[in-house]
Amino acid sequence: MIITLLILALILSGALSWFAESRKSGSAKMVALVSSLFLALSFIVYLLSSHNDFSQLVLLADVSWIDTFNIRYSIALDHLSNMLLLLTFLLLLVAVLISWREITHRVGFYYFNLMLTIAGIVGVFTAVDLFLFFFFWEVMLLPMTALIAIWGHENKHFAAIKFFIFTQVSSLLMLVAIIVMAYLHQQQVGQLSFAYQDWLNLKLPDELAYYMMLGFFIAFAVKLPSFPVHSWLPDAHTQAPTAGSVLLAGVLLKTGAYGLIRFVIVLFPQASTEFAPIAAILALVSILYGAKMAFAQTDFKRLVAYSSISHMGFVMLALFSFNANAFQGAIITLVAHGLSSAALFAFAGMIYARIHSRDLAMMGGFWKSAPLMGGFALAFAASAFGLPGLANFVGEFFSLIGSYQRFPVITIFAALGIIGSAIYGMMLFQSSFQGPVKHSFIDLSVREGFIAISLFSALLILGLFPNLVFQFTFNGGL
Amino acid sequence: MDLSAFISLTPQLIIASGVVLAMLLVAWQRSQKMIAYFTTLILLMAIIATVNAMGGEKTFITTLLAVDDYSRYAFILVLVSSLCCVYLSTLTLCQGVEVHDEYYLLLLLVVLGAGILIVSEHFASLFLGFEILSIALVGLVGYFRQSQFSVETGFKYLILSASASSFMLLGIAFIYAQTGDLSFSHAVIEQANITLYASLSQSVLYQLGFILFFAGIAFKLSLVPFHYWTPDVYQGASTPVTLLLATVSKCAMFIVLLKCCFTASHFSLIQGSNVFSFIAWLAILSMIVGNCLALKQQKIKRLLGYSSIAHMGYLLIVVLLGNLAGIDFAWQSVLFYLSAYLLANVSIFTVLTFDDKLAKGDAVTIDSWQGLFWRQPLLATLVIFSVLSFAGIPLTAGFIGKFYLVSFAADHALWSLLAALIVGSGIALAYYLPIIFALFCEPQSTPEENVQREITLADKSVVSLYIALGFVLGIYPDVIGKLLQQL
Repeated sequence: MIITLLILALILSGALSWFAESRKSGSAKMVALVSSLFLALSFIVYLLSSHNDFSQLVLLADVSWIDTFNIRYSIALDHLSNMLLLLTFLLLLVAVLISWREITHRVGFYYFNLMLTIAGIVGVFTAVDLFLFFFFWEVMLLPMTALIAIWGHENKHFAAIKFFIFTQVSSLLMLVAIIVMAYLHQQQVGQLSFAYQDWLNLKLPDELAYYMMLGFFIAFAVKLPSFPVHSWLPDAHTQAPTAGSVLLAGVLLKTGAYGLIRFVIVLFPQASTEFAPIAAILALVSILYGAKMAFAQTDFKRLVAYSSISHMGFVMLALFSFNANAFQGAIITLVAHGLSSAALFAFAGMIYARIHSRDLAMMGGFWKSAPLMGGFALAFAASAFGLPGLANFVGEFFSLIGSYQRFPVITIFAALGIIGSAIYGMMLFQSSFQGPVKHSFIDLSVREGFIAISLFSALLILGLFPNLVFQFTFNGGL
Repeated sequence: MDLSAFISLTPQLIIASGVVLAMLLVAWQRSQKMIAYFTTLILLMAIIATVNAMGGEKTFITTLLAVDDYSRYAFILVLVSSLCCVYLSTLTLCQGVEVHDEYYLLLLLVVLGAGILIVSEHFASLFLGFEILSIALVGLVGYFRQSQFSVETGFKYLILSASASSFMLLGIAFIYAQTGDLSFSHAVIEQANITLYASLSQSVLYQLGFILFFAGIAFKLSLVPFHYWTPDVYQGASTPVTLLLATVSKCAMFIVLLKCCFTASHFSLIQGSNVFSFIAWLAILSMIVGNCLALKQQKIKRLLGYSSIAHMGYLLIVVLLGNLAGIDFAWQSVLFYLSAYLLANVSIFTVLTFDDKLAKGDAVTIDSWQGLFWRQPLLATLVIFSVLSFAGIPLTAGFIGKFYLVSFAADHALWSLLAALIVGSGIALAYYLPIIFALFCEPQSTPEENVQREITLADKSVVSLYIALGFVLGIYPDVIGKLLQQL
């Protein structure tokens, strides 16, 4: 029930802030901030007071929706979705705060779209009826595309269309796979079913299972994104408004990884084991290619975007190693990357607000005028390249340890990606904050400082006490 | 022919008598308003009669016609969309001083033709309905003789529908030569009958006949490669007439095609010979070519013309039914998809008609919708809903329609068609999304543009009704799904 209420409340508060803005300009962001704080707190309170054991999926709602196809509205939570939801709410707050000054036109509608995106994402992380999952999967796309297309930068329409077509086509493949699974259930049990729990009991014919797995895998690999279906990401990230990039990198990419964890490796253990070598090679290519491309960029946001491809490669490599260590590592990497890349995009937005450029050639010597900002930027860059003590290190370390047992050669090459990330991370920092002074501007404001501190402390806590999240039941693969 | 047969044919009879009465009305007094109200009344009565008859048995009226619940539902779709068309016509026609009685007369004739097509159970009645529909539509397409394209459009449509019907006649003749039977009902689709016809399906003349017949229908459905007339006629005809072409004509044609293909003889023909791959190629080509051609269009009506090609291609999947068990689901899929498609068409054409008044002869382009969301949020929301529905994105009825089709194709293992559908939908996004983005652009403030277009309360309520309907069907499709299951 709580999740349904949260989704409804997100939609309503989005509508409310749209309405409020039309009455009194400047009120939309207040409404959005207050309501997202309230919703985040109520979710935390729910988690603390709940007596459910979230180590397995706990079904929270299950009502009939479309009887014709036996589609049910069913929502469930476990540790994985809880943690991703917490991340989502944290980044929602960041997104609202980072848009505070940046968005100056159509403000009400902007916050409406922002809230709607989050509502869709919450649905994706909790739905356990596959039709419902697909529904939310698409619903989160629409407002996200609107965010890019309306409030984006110079080439926004192209980026938005590219983003939409990539995800839409790949998700149609997933839709086909979902439908075939439902009909398979009809063959074996006698009635259609889209329920995740029912599908776990299906006996899948080998060859069919492989194709079904591919259908799901492609949809999630596009979202992750993995080489060779990554090319929407740099464009979408670069053109999106700052909050859009934060959400894209912070949570939308995680929906791809979530799909791999929840559906691909659990529903099709046999097929994904067979597929694992290919997935591992794709992951390796993503890691190295992403790192190389990041190094070659001159655009701040594009660089961070390519680094995301590289980091998500580690997640995929770890997931397809079918190993408890790697699994835990993948999940920590997810969260850590969500925090650190969101922080870097937020910094890109802050710099853009000051010098109206994302071009690294236009930057330099910011440290002189803004040491606090420089300090945080260094910390986040260091976190991105895996400095021990911060969460990314733990995640990548465990991922590599786990996957070494299965793919030793690939893992050795993948470890090179960490060196690459150190190189581009330092390049990013040096060309913007060090060197000759090209601009001088005011340091972090209180609002921006709050964003930086909250993201950094989350990274630090997870880095020092990774046991906080080491509680996932590993049930992936063979 | 007994009384019960007459009763089950009531809706069609109402329309037919409406045509005659309308002519008398014209002779008595020519009034712009009266004829519009009269047509609305006739259509409403027909709708009520059809709804009333829902749930009845399948009734034969001679060997020519048969009424069952699927055809009743389809007729309701036809009637409702022509009702919307009448509403839009009143908006368009009120500008001139001329009295347009003939227009409504022709419109009723189109509905009559569609009504006959939908219930026909015999090639003869099929041809009759086809001709009534076509000839009346030719009149309507060329109706506005002052407009720039009316002669060209009328001629194009006339020549193409004439050639379509001659193709069809030849095809029917070949079929008759081979089977010796023109009725659909003699070959009820059952396993025993299918094996009976299996040997016949190898006959080349029979195959050729069926392909020719199919080509005739394909002209009307504007499937590739019979699609050349579509964009020009869509653009040249006045907006309500285009709506009629896009909804009534296509819906009726498709229903009768399905009736014809779901008979034992044609089923075994499609399954047992090259006709299967002929239809499959037609479908695949329509999906891909239709969508590709729409990519570069700037004029909305042309764009919709091309996209309709693709949509008919998607629907054609259902014709390739693989086993008898799926027949009910095939009907459900088609009827749901058509409902969603008609709703989307009616929605977008409503907005187009509102804009026509302002465009003054120029075709509405994507650019002329720039910033519509900030000027007219209600209209823009309707456009968004209908375009998303065309594109098959969740929250709209179009998605559920596509879901039906994908389910059908997956159940019957039509993988190549599914692949074409996915590719086609991907291409389609590249022209649907720019329409939506244009709505959200900042409006260009030229002085003429600032003149707010007049939208009355009635228009507003109609628009909100469409939005609500689209939303309900998208969120809770069981409203129709349950109904279709019981048919």
